[in-house]
Amino acid sequence: MIEVKNVKKKYGRKQILKGISFTANKGEITCLIGINGVGKTTIMKAIMALTPINSGEILIDGGKIRKESFEKITFIPDTITMPQQMKISEAFQFMADFYKSWNPQRAQELLQFFKLDENDRIANLSKGNTAKVNMLLGLALDVDYLLMDEPFSGIDIFSREQIAEVFTSHLIEDRGVIITTHEINDIEHLIDKVVLIDEGAVLREFNVEEVRENEGKSVVDVMREVYRG
Amino acid sequence: MDVKFNNRDPVYVQVIRHFKEQIAKGYYVAGQEIPSRRELANQLKINPNTAQRAYKEMEEQQLIYTEGNLPSCITKDEKVLKNVREELIIEAVDLFVGSIQSINVPLSEVLELVKKTHDAKSGETEESK
Repeated sequence: MIEVKNVKKKYGRKQILKGISFTANKGEITCLIGINGVGKTTIMKAIMALTPINSGEILIDGGKIRKESFEKITFIPDTITMPQQMKISEAFQFMADFYKSWNPQRAQELLQFFKLDENDRIANLSKGNTAKVNMLLGLALDVDYLLMDEPFSGIDIFSREQIAEVFTSHLIEDRGVIITTHEINDIEHLIDKVVLIDEGAVLREFNVEEVRENEGKSVVDVMREVYRG
Repeated sequence: MDVKFNNRDPVYVQVIRHFKEQIAKGYYVAGQEIPSRRELANQLKINPNTAQRAYKEMEEQQLIYTEGNLPSCITKDEKVLKNVREELIIEAVDLFVGSIQSINVPLSEVLELVKKTHDAKSGETEESK
């Protein structure tokens, strides 16, 4: 379980996170929803210890993040971080050199699933295919937790469907996933839990099936209530 | 298998309904093996946890059974299967009668129209096959 407890963070004088708390379970897909600039990416960076926090605590399976944790948890940013001139196969080698948890079989499986050619250079890929390679590099790690920042932004509908399909497969099963998005429609049926965020605070945290069952509301219904009400 | 899910009913409830429809249609028969939870999640594009929940619920309703590590199967209890079909019919009729009554249409007028529409629609699906 990932526990985010009362995390506060300032950039200069601007308070970005005003005491964020939520949990994300292993084996579940947790979705952080909020408009641009509410601090979703900052939360992910804070979980990965990529940015210092001013107060609060973040625990992964009960412990603070350490060097070894990066074999257990990974972050897929919204843009690819590999050098553009690399071929996909070279990017694979790069990952294998850095991570013990790199799983080459799974990387090959994903390559086929996304219909990519490992001899292509990243610089020559379309936007959609670049996003797929970016996802692939994270998914092929044998980690317990995956953080994905806006995996659907700026990608065509078919690529989105393909990426959404990953969530229903064994590629994700049993892992804990935190995903940020504002394009909830593509994945409404796929997620377990939603954390609604606005202006650096959690407005509501809920299990989507429970809300459908007890209140007869869709995720969008709840969003409308919370953001407009 | 293509199922259109709505966003307001629990997905697991909609999955169970889908199974009941397949049973009523005769697509699934007594004792037939059904997809594993993982396969179902993949086919219907849903979360594996939701597939698990639907199967658990169907087991409790005795619509399906699982013996040990074997794949789950549709119940062999003919009574349960018959009830599924009846349940769906009654549900559809209730819904229909409710919407007809709300606009005060006499039954005789409706029945004639139902028959006509039904015949026309069956004709259409026959042709498109």
